[in-house]
Formats: sequence, C-alpha cells, structure tokens
Amino acid sequence: MKAFTKERGTLALLDWSDVNTDVIIPARYLKRIERTGYGPLLFADKRYVAGGAPPVDDPVKGGALDTAFPLNQPKYEKASILVVGKNFGCGSSREHAVWAVEQAGFRVMIAPGKNEGFADIFEGNALNNGLLVVELSDDDWSKVAQAARADAPIEADVDLGTNVLKVFAADGAFSVRFDLAEGPRQKLLKGLDAIGETLQHAMAISRYEQGAPPWAARPGVSV
Amino acid sequence: MPATLFDKVWDRHVVTGDDQTALLYIDRHLVHEVTSPQAFEGLRLAGRKVRRPDLTFATPDHNVPTDNQLDIREPMSRRQVETLRSNCREFGLTLYDVGSGRQGIVHVIGPELGITLPGLTIVCGDSHTSTHGAFGALAFGIGTSEVEHVLATQTLMQGARPKSLGIEVMGRLPEGLGPKDIILAIIRRIGTGGGTGCVIEYHGSAISSLSMEGRMTICNMSIEGGARAGLIAPDETTFEYIATGERPFAPRGQALEAAIADWKTLRTEDSSQFDERVSIDASRLVPQVTWGTNPGMTVDVTARVPEPDDVPFASKEDARRALDYMGLQPGTPIMDIPVDVVFIGSCTNGRIEDLRVAARVFAGRKVAPGVRALVVPGSEAVRAQAHAEGLDRVFEAAGAEWRLSGCSMCLAMNPDKLTPGQRAASTSNRNFEGRQGPGGRTHLVSPAMAAAAAVTGRFADVRQLLDQEA
Ligand code: SF4
Repeated sequence: MKAFTKERGTLALLDWSDVNTDVIIPARYLKRIERTGYGPLLFADKRYVAGGAPPVDDPVKGGALDTAFPLNQPKYEKASILVVGKNFGCGSSREHAVWAVEQAGFRVMIAPGKNEGFADIFEGNALNNGLLVVELSDDDWSKVAQAARADAPIEADVDLGTNVLKVFAADGAFSVRFDLAEGPRQKLLKGLDAIGETLQHAMAISRYEQGAPPWAARPGVSV
Repeated sequence: MPATLFDKVWDRHVVTGDDQTALLYIDRHLVHEVTSPQAFEGLRLAGRKVRRPDLTFATPDHNVPTDNQLDIREPMSRRQVETLRSNCREFGLTLYDVGSGRQGIVHVIGPELGITLPGLTIVCGDSHTSTHGAFGALAFGIGTSEVEHVLATQTLMQGARPKSLGIEVMGRLPEGLGPKDIILAIIRRIGTGGGTGCVIEYHGSAISSLSMEGRMTICNMSIEGGARAGLIAPDETTFEYIATGERPFAPRGQALEAAIADWKTLRTEDSSQFDERVSIDASRLVPQVTWGTNPGMTVDVTARVPEPDDVPFASKEDARRALDYMGLQPGTPIMDIPVDVVFIGSCTNGRIEDLRVAARVFAGRKVAPGVRALVVPGSEAVRAQAHAEGLDRVFEAAGAEWRLSGCSMCLAMNPDKLTPGQRAASTSNRNFEGRQGPGGRTHLVSPAMAAAAAVTGRFADVRQLLDQEA
C-alpha cells in the first residue's frame, strides 16, 4: 500500500447524506475482475447525462457529463480532497467504491460526525487503500464545506504528521485538527503491507489454531 | 469477565493485541465471484497460498442467471464466474458450483451446509455476512483487501472493539406480519446510520420465538442499520437446526454434544451491559413498506407517502431527491401505489419459510394483469425443498415465475433486473437508486406483502387478504 503523509490539493463538495455504494459505483461494473480502471465509473449513474454511463466492458467510453451533478462543476475539476455528507459509503462491502474514488483522483475524504461520517466497511476499505478518511465535528465540517462552496477552486493542506487540515478559504485561511486512530494512522504514514505485517505473527496464529475447539477448527468433525 | 455475547465471541478469537488493535482469528471464510478475483490476483502476485483451504468455501451467486444457470450469456458475468472456478482449482478451495445441488446465495448455503455455527467468526466479501449472526456467530462483511488478508493469514487486523447495541423486541408479532417487518421497523427507528460502529444483539421474546430463518432475516439487515454485525444468542432452536438435515460441516455425535455444552455459555449475562439499548414492541407493528431510496425511509402500509420535511434522519433536500427518484407525491396513500414487478427472494427472504408464507398468499389467487412476479429460491436446496412441498405448483398456478437459485433481482448483475421507471415490491434488503437496475424503483416489503402486491397489482395490507380466507 502506498504511504500517505500530506496532501495539498483543491476541495470538492458533494453535500448529500447516506450516499451508498450502489450510487458510488453501480453493481454492474463489479463484473470487472481488474483492480484498476474504476476512475471513470465513480458515480456513473449521476455524473453522465442520461444514457451516458460507460458500458460495462469499456469504462473509458462515457458520454457527456451531466452539468447538474455537483462534482461536475469546473471549479472541482482537479480536486483531490472530497468533502461529503454523513454516512458516506453505506451499503455493500464492495472495495470497488474506494477504488473508484481513489482512481478518480481523490486522496482524502472529509465527512461530518465522529463515527458517523463514513460507514464502517467503507472506512476500513479506504484506509486499506491509502485513502485518508477524516471525520470532523459538525461545526468544523460545515466550515470546510462552506469554503468549498466558493465560486473558484479552494486549496487545502492535509498533514497526517501533525493531524492538521488547513483550508485556504476565499475569506481567509483557517486550520482544524482531526483525529485518526493510531493504528491506521501509522499504517498510512508508513504505507505498510498489511499481510506482511500479520505474517510476523505466524507463530501466534499457529498456536491459536492448535488450541481451538475441534468443532471450530475442523468443519464436519464427528467425534 | 466478558459480559455480552459479542465480547465472549470476540475475546475467544484474539490471537494477539490489545484494546486498540487486535488480530482476530477467522474460523470460516465464504467467497463469491464478485469480490474475490482481485484478492486471488493479489495472492498470485505475492506468491502466497491460502492458509486454510479447509475453512474457505466458495459459490457463484450474484451473476448466475436464474433461467438457465449453466449458460451465462453475458461475457463479463461468464468471465467472473469462470475466474472463481479457476481460482478455486488453483488454490484448492471447495466450490459449490451450479448444479451441485448445494449452490445458492452464499448466506443461504452457509447455514444449510453447517458451515455457520455458534461462537465462530465468519467473514465474506459481502456486507450481508451479518446474516450468520443469527446463530450467535460474529459474522461481518469485508472488502477485497481483507479477503486477500484472510485467504493468506486466516486472520483480520481489527481496530478498537465495536460498541454493543442491544435491541430488545418483545411482544407477539400480529398475524400477517413477519421478521422482515420487525427489522424494517427497527431501521426506521434507529436510521440507516444508527448502528455505525456497533454490533447489534437482538433479544427479547419476539426474537427467541422466531425460527432460524426468521432470525437470519433480522440479522441480515443489520448492515442496513449501519451496524458491523448482528447477533442472536444461540438456544434450543439453533441447536435443533444444526442437528437436523444434511449439514456436512456441522459436528455430529459426541462432537456436537460437546459443542452444544459450550454454545450454551454464549449469551449476554445482563442486558444492562450493552453500551446502548433500544426497545421495540412487536405486538404494535403494522406491515412495513419503504417509500424512499434507503431502508430507513419506511412507513406503515396504512400510511401515506410523507412530506419532505417530515422524514426522520434525512434533510429536506435528501428527502425530495428520494421522492423525485421514486416518482411519488407526498400524501399519496401507500395502498394506492401500483407495482410493475414483484421479487420474492434474496439472502433476506429467499429461504423455505419465506416461500411458504408467499405461497399461502398466492394459493387460490392470480398475479394481477400486467404484473410480473418472480419467485427465486435462495439455494438449490431451498428449491428442492419447495418442490417436495409442492410450493412450485402454487406459484405457477398463480402465474408467478418459479426460477433457479441466485441473487437474481436483488441487484442488477444478472439478467433479472428492472427497466428504467419500473416499480417493484421486493423482499430484498436495499432500495437504493438503481439497485435492481438503472432507473428502477424499489419498495422493500416482507414476502407476504410482496405476494399481496402481486395479486392486487398495488401495495395491499396482507392482513386483509388473510382475513378474507378465514
Ligand atoms: S441476495 Fe442480494 S444482498 Fe444477498 S448476497 Fe445476493 S446480492 Fe447481496
């Protein structure tokens, strides 16, 4: 996994709550067995004009963009920090949703509400892919969202080393602190390979297996 | 001493770690074709093997057509199912393929085969893994990176332990209502984010009187309430289910007796130990129907489509977007809404009991003109059982399509899908935009309510239909 330390980029805002994974990437695109190519499929049934969503077997062949979709505003075109509403990523466990966000060019997501901003599985998937997900207090989030409503692109600095988000809002810069549990934070900062890390505990895993009750350790055991 | 069922199962599985991070051992890993190809590819690239092929079980379900399972005409779907087959061969995994007699939706076949047992940790790259919590197993959905991690290590690294939410359901469920009405009422009450960061334990008299099928319907939709997992303490109903039938992976004989003695300790000592608590009275429930685009947007069948500022947990704009998408006017009585398609099936309501309930409503009635009704068993075993009971003849006599097992119209990955603008009464678990096909409109209901909608051509109060019989 690639490491995350800092990101300097512009903000984009999708101010909707309960955005589910079927909206983030519709199920038909999950037929792909590749791990890349999901960028153009992000919000496929929202971002293109009716009938313009890419065909399943050719993700780059999308039609014209739907100007009514908030993320299609020109000021958000190069954004790498995506500000979203509560409970983002609810629904299925599909990691394709995270791949789509990340492959569309986002490195950070910001949602409101401690433990309420992102759905649990989405959050875990994001962190496993080096996508930083930040949950701010409702007040701090509102300030960031408000900044992103400006007519021009608004820059921000996200520093995981100091846990500070600095927003260069149109009416002056401001900073907010954010928290991330220390485990995932270290993983992101170091870009650790999770499987490699776990395999360092191979002895403990074997010991656990030897101590497990037979009905758990051996499916179908009859004596 | 750990106090809740959840704590007990969690604590048993900590290989190493502390309160902030724990390496959890995973006892059973279920695999389907959609979320696994990239995980197997990752193993191949790193030169890794599957640590415990004997604890890993696979089946194709999402892409499988329900008219002819053997002939997947859509090339991308066929490639995905064939990739699962070749990965299972390469890594030595047990595959329950179509035609094996035991294929089906992964969450339906796990319990049927005895893979699902109390006190286990069970994962799958699928959010409805929460279904297996009905047995008192800690079961949750994972992403593809985690699928790869479990394949390689048989463990998962977890952050701080989730909070526990105890949901008590007491009272007697009225005639005509089912477990689906209970879980829809719960989600309506707590909201789709209400369980975020939590594991829910369902308890109370209305839960313990449910069959295993009913308990699975409840735990299945824990994820729609935002929870990581749902749990129900194992009891005699659970042990009886495990002990009966063809369940090749369940313990038998002395091994089963020893296991049951252990499973009896898997309960919450005192409900005051839950971090949070909610209580629901089942005796006051009315059949539930979702009107919007998330499972919390639910009302009684006797109610009307709400005004946008009258929707709990949703902003006025979110509610308006939902109304627009669903093509509904506030104030419309739910029972005035016509349906085009009825889908009975899925890992929520595709088990034998669900089909029995639906058949009872279909018996002696006809699917309304212009309505397409699909009845899709959750597994090949459910299909065989339904045949043995003659339920297939009831469905066909009513004019419903009796199909082969799979996820079918629960999500639009196989030929069963809605066309834009079509409106469905569905026993599945998600009414998200486009879930059953781009532009499709989904209303979630119980199997009895779905059958009632099929025969009346619009949403109907199934209690009235059942009264007419009496
Ligand atoms: S039936 Fe629906 S919810 Fe269940 S596993 Fe299949 S697609 Fe997922």
